[in-house]
This record gives sequence, structure tokens and C-alpha cells, in this order.
Amino acid sequence: MNESSLFSAAFALYAGALVVYFAALFARREGWGRGGLILAVIGLSFHTAALILRTAASGHAPFTNMYESLSFLSWALVLVLIIFGRGARVPALAPYLMLIVVALVALASSPLMPKDVTPLVPALQSYWLWLHVSVTLVGEAFFAVAFVAGLLYLTAGTEEKKEKLDALAYRAVAVGFPLFTLGGLVFGMVWAYRAWGRYWAWDPKEVWSLITWFVFALYLHTRIVMGWKGKRSAIVAIAGFLAALFTYFGVNYLLSGLHSYV
Amino acid sequence: MRSFARFFSSVKLAIVLFILVTLASILGTLIPQGRSPAEYVARYGGLSGVFTALQLTRLYSSVWYLALVFLFALNTAVCTVTRFGTKWRKSFGPAVATDAQALQGHKVKGRFRLPPPLEAAEDRVRGALRSRGYRVEKAGSGGTLTLLGRKRRLGRFGSDVVHLGLLVILAGGLTSTLAGKRSNIALREGESADVPGAAFAVRLDRFETEYYPRGGVKDWKSTVTVVEDGAPVLTRVVEVNHPLTYRGFAFYQSSYGRDWQRSTLVLEVRKRADAAFSRTVTLEVGDKVAFDDAEVTHVSVRQFVPDFMLGEGNRVQNRSQEPNNPAALVEAWKGESRVHMGWVFAKYPDFGQGHAEGRSPLVFVLKTYAAGNYSVLEAAKDPGAGFVWAGSVLITLGFFLAFYWPPREVRVVLEEAQGRIDVAAAGEAAKGREAFRKEFDRIFDDLRRPS
Ligand code: HEM
Repeated sequence: MNESSLFSAAFALYAGALVVYFAALFARREGWGRGGLILAVIGLSFHTAALILRTAASGHAPFTNMYESLSFLSWALVLVLIIFGRGARVPALAPYLMLIVVALVALASSPLMPKDVTPLVPALQSYWLWLHVSVTLVGEAFFAVAFVAGLLYLTAGTEEKKEKLDALAYRAVAVGFPLFTLGGLVFGMVWAYRAWGRYWAWDPKEVWSLITWFVFALYLHTRIVMGWKGKRSAIVAIAGFLAALFTYFGVNYLLSGLHSYV
Repeated sequence: MRSFARFFSSVKLAIVLFILVTLASILGTLIPQGRSPAEYVARYGGLSGVFTALQLTRLYSSVWYLALVFLFALNTAVCTVTRFGTKWRKSFGPAVATDAQALQGHKVKGRFRLPPPLEAAEDRVRGALRSRGYRVEKAGSGGTLTLLGRKRRLGRFGSDVVHLGLLVILAGGLTSTLAGKRSNIALREGESADVPGAAFAVRLDRFETEYYPRGGVKDWKSTVTVVEDGAPVLTRVVEVNHPLTYRGFAFYQSSYGRDWQRSTLVLEVRKRADAAFSRTVTLEVGDKVAFDDAEVTHVSVRQFVPDFMLGEGNRVQNRSQEPNNPAALVEAWKGESRVHMGWVFAKYPDFGQGHAEGRSPLVFVLKTYAAGNYSVLEAAKDPGAGFVWAGSVLITLGFFLAFYWPPREVRVVLEEAQGRIDVAAAGEAAKGREAFRKEFDRIFDDLRRPS
């Protein structure tokens, strides 16, 4: 199997997992959720193989254009869903996260995204590419968990559910925020310093990473020192993920700057 | 002074500043920064004057943005310092005697009895706490004892370490701005130049562009030699992502170019009268080289353009830096008198011959042309970068402490009464309350079990 058929197989399995997860959710059959999980795990292994093949074929990290980075982000999301979602004991988490995964994979598969393996321009030839992008995207996958938990919070009916969702969002931020800081900001600065001799250039993508960072710092501070919990916290977490999403997509398509590769 | 401290230690102010800095930063990504005045006029018309006056066109170095950042830093510093003392005492201060009543307010608590004597009960409690990693201190005297067990005491300072790291990074940014030096050094192969602000020079030995087999640039490589007091010190290849560092300066591959004015040309010389005559000369633009012949003593190239075109009034112009239509203005001499002058076109060898001045006995063909290379190195001395890395390490460490090293505290009051020991215990944990409750219960299950 080549990379693109592996990727398509993963897509199909994720779509299957999505259907099973939602069926379990709406039919209130928690047991069915296992089926979704199994499909997700098999999908992830195909997806992993696709990423490995692509890395081998291109000889560089699999996130140097939009297709590759979407693929990696969705891969990280499935991984987080499987590992992190199991302990969460929130049945609605997996279906909605999988919905985001399927949307990202669909976008990656669309003809809008060129899938050619392209050689790396000199600025990207660095192991910091691996560190910077992978850690940042995994951090953003955790922000996605906080986002889904926040949205579910706003629609949740019972106090018990709300409490779980609030705690889940916080736990996701407690993992995502350090990862995003390390990958997005620190590793980004180190790499920029190695490549261009300046660690910070106020490029729009850098500024939007900083904005994302501020929103999550706001999330933590309003919680810990002002006692915000629940609804207001959920809204800040949602805003934080949207800022991360804009950093990821919006900056490339709507603003211009140094980070024009991905 | 007090009200100053109160104002700047307020977390509400921090929230306001978070929001203001965020909004200002967003604004700076919507308005392109640092463009020419004409571009702003074209984009925003009458508003451009307002934008310039408010420094929105160089927002991140504007007085008001920097003032916001300064307030933010001050807020962080004051906030951290004013809370530090209390936190320190809570983590490292001595145990304070308390009573069973005071422990009732806690969420995680328990009561039970232990057999006398008091000393034996104390030992058992100490042992149980220690086996779970708690450090135990004692307060009180006589028949009532308070044991205070604490663990992961540094965890309380995670936020302080993060805040300190943040301030160190901001200090680094300030240092970079005030004390950083940056200059571009453009060098042709073989040339050297003094590094501004340094007591050494750099020489470009070689510059090359590597391409992928299917096109596209793979790498730019400058072989650079550091020259100090006229003597070469070290030679390194500078590539993108692989700067050369020497005495606090770093040299980056910043840009490059082809220098057509230093092209090396190979010309073929023919004679109209002698079909068998053909010789080649190699020369650089501006050179006048000897040509050992009865009719021609020297050949020179006055001008070279990579993309020849005729502009208004038939003036020669260069359309681009791409070799679309390379042409050389060639002269030939016999002693002091010029016997030939005319343009030669690499792609149109027949063209132009008829245009040579007068009736030249010669025909030139431009066989090859190769541009001279120049490389632009950025020399940077950035004394702030070290602060930024140190601050980044602190922030990372602080996150670990803040999120994954939550402090725990257990207070146990032992009271001797009517031949038995009443034990009241309560605990608190900043984070991970569930896990803490489990640990607490386990400790006291152990204690309650008769040994
Ligand atoms: C972007 C800048 C900042 C970052 C990244 C940051 C980071 C943090 C982190 C990670 C925590 C621990 C949160 C937790 O344990 O859940 C924290 C706590 C705290 N921060 Fe900040 N902070 C920033 C700015 C500020 C500012 C400007 C203030 C000024 C008032 C402030 C005041 C506090 C306070 C009072 C706490 C309470 C926690 C404690 O006392 O241990 N922070 N901060």
C-alpha cells in the first residue's frame, strides 16, 4: 500500500469510528463506544504508517506544507483522543473530537491541498522543524480537547456533567499550555535565532502564537486567582482554541509574513 | 507607596492588561507593519495620517505598546514579590500549634483514636506520613501535639518561577534592543570586510548555490574565513540554519546575489578576412587584456548586461537580473587606437555584427558568461539572547512545578485524653484533590489498623 491509500484507509476508519461513536452517544450505549475506539486505533495505525512512508519518501519531517501538517495534526488529535479521552469519563468527548479529526482529514484530502512531496527550502532544513512543529501541534490537539469540553459544558444539562467537563478542560489546558509554550514559542524562538539570527521578529504568525498564549494565560489566571469556573472559563478556553486555529490557518491565508511555508 | 503596591499587585489589573495587550497585538497583525508611507496612503487613504500619528504602522515598537508591556512586567513583578513572603512561610515556615476544632473546616479530614502513650502515637503518625514522602514538623507541648506534614513544597513556587522567567525574557528583549548590533556584510568571493563593532574581519572564500536535481534551491553556502590582525583564524561553511559564531558575533547566511558587473566572459575572436582564424579570450567586465596579433593588441569589455533591451532614444537598458538576453559591449584596440566597438549577443550571435562601429575587421562571439557571486552575511551580536534562553528554561521548569508538582499538606492533632489518644487530621492540596483524598485515606487506614 502506498502513502495515499494508507491515508485514505485511515480516513475511512475514522469516519467509521465517528459513526459508531455518535451511534453510541445517541443510543446511550456506552458499550458501543468501544467499537469506535477500536476503529480509531486501527485508523491511527494506518495513519502512522502513512506518515512514516511519507517521511521516508521525502526524507524530511512530514509537516512542511498544509496537507502534511493537517495530517499530522489530525494524527495527534486521534492519539490524544485515545490516550487522554479514556480517563476523562465524558462519553461525548470522543464523538465530537472525532468530528474535528474527520473534518481535518477531509480538508487534507481535498483537491485544494497539493500533496506533492516537495524538497525543503534551506530555512526548513533543521531538526528544529521536527521539534517546533510536532510539539506545537500536539499542544494544539490538547487545546482542541479543552475546546470540545468547553462547548459541551455550555450545552451540558446536569451539574455533575458540568463539573467533569470543567475539570477536563482544565486538565487539557494544563498539558496543552506547557507544550504549546515550549514548542510554539520557545522552540520557535530558538529556530528563528539559528536560521535568521533573531529570535523574535513580530511576524504575524509569531504574534498570533503570542495571542493564543495570552488567552490561555488569561484562562489560568481567571481560574486560579479570580475563582472563575464553569461557563466563563469554558468561554475563555473556546476563545483560546479559536485563536490557535487562526494562528494555524488564518494567518497563512489572510495575513502575510515569514511563515509562508505552512 | 502602599497604594502603588496595592494597585500593581492586583490580579484584576493583570486581567485588564492581558486583554489590552492581546487586542493591541491583534491590531498590529491587521495593519501591515513597517511599510513605506506611500503604501499606507494607497491602502488607507486619509486614515493613513491617523495611523502614522498613533504609531499603528510600527505598533510593536510604539511608545504606547511598550508602555503596556512595561506595566505588564511591573504588574507581574509586584504581584509575585508581594505574595512571595506568605507563600514561603506556608511552605517552609515552622509548624504552628493548632487544635482539633480548627481542623474541622477542611474538606479532607478524619478522626480516630490511637493507643497511648502519646510518644508512640506520634511515632506512628510520623512514620505513616514519612513513608508517603511527607516531611514532618512538630508544634505544641504537653498533652496536645500538632504534626505538620508537607511534601512537594517547591510546587507552590511554580507560578513564581514562570513569572520570573517571563521577566527575564522581557529583560532579554530589552537588552537585545538596546545593546544588540546587527549589520549586513555583502562580500564577493575573495573579498573581506571588517565586521562593524568588532576587532576582526571576515573573508568570503567561496559562495555556492546548491540545487535539487529537479530544480529548487537546496542550500546557499558561504565559505567564510575569520581574519584577525591580518591572519586567518578559522574557516567555516555558513549555511542557512548553520551560523558561524566567533567572539560573541554570529554570522548568518542572509542573502546572496549574482553580480553581473563582475561577470567572467569567454569571447571568440574571428576575422572577416581570414575564415580560418579563431581564438578565444577570457576576461572580466572592465578588463583590458593583451591579444597577441598584428592587427589587434588588446581586447576589452566595457559593459555587460544580462537582459539587454533598447529603451527610449535607443539607450541600452537592462530589463532584469535574469540572463534572458546577455550582451557585452566589446572593444578591440591596436595600440592606442580602437579598431572595433560593438555589442555582442550570446543568444543572437549574428545580430549586432553589422552594427559594429566603422568597418571592423573583427567578429566577436560571446561563448560563455558567468556572473560573479556575492553573498550577504548578517553579522549579529545579541547579548539579550542568553536571557531569553534562561527565561525559557525557567518558564518550562515553572510549568512543571505549577501543574505537576502540587504541594500537599497534612495537619494532625494528637490529644491525650482519658487513657487514649484522640487523633484529628485534615489536609489540603492545591491541585489534584481526588488523588490527594485517596492518599489521605490510605495513610489513615494504615494508622487505624492495629499494628
Ligand atoms: C503571560 C504572562 C503570564 C504567565 C505565562 C503566567 C503564568 C502563570 C502560571 C502558569 C501560573 C500558575 C497557574 C496555575 O497553577 O494554575 C500563574 C499563577 C499566578 N499568576 Fe501568572 N502569569 C503571567 C502573568 C501574570 C501577571 C501579569 C500577574 C500579575 C498580577 C500574574 C499573577 C499570578 C498570580 C497571582 C498567580 C497565582 C498563583 C500563585 O500564587 O501561586 N501572572 N501564572
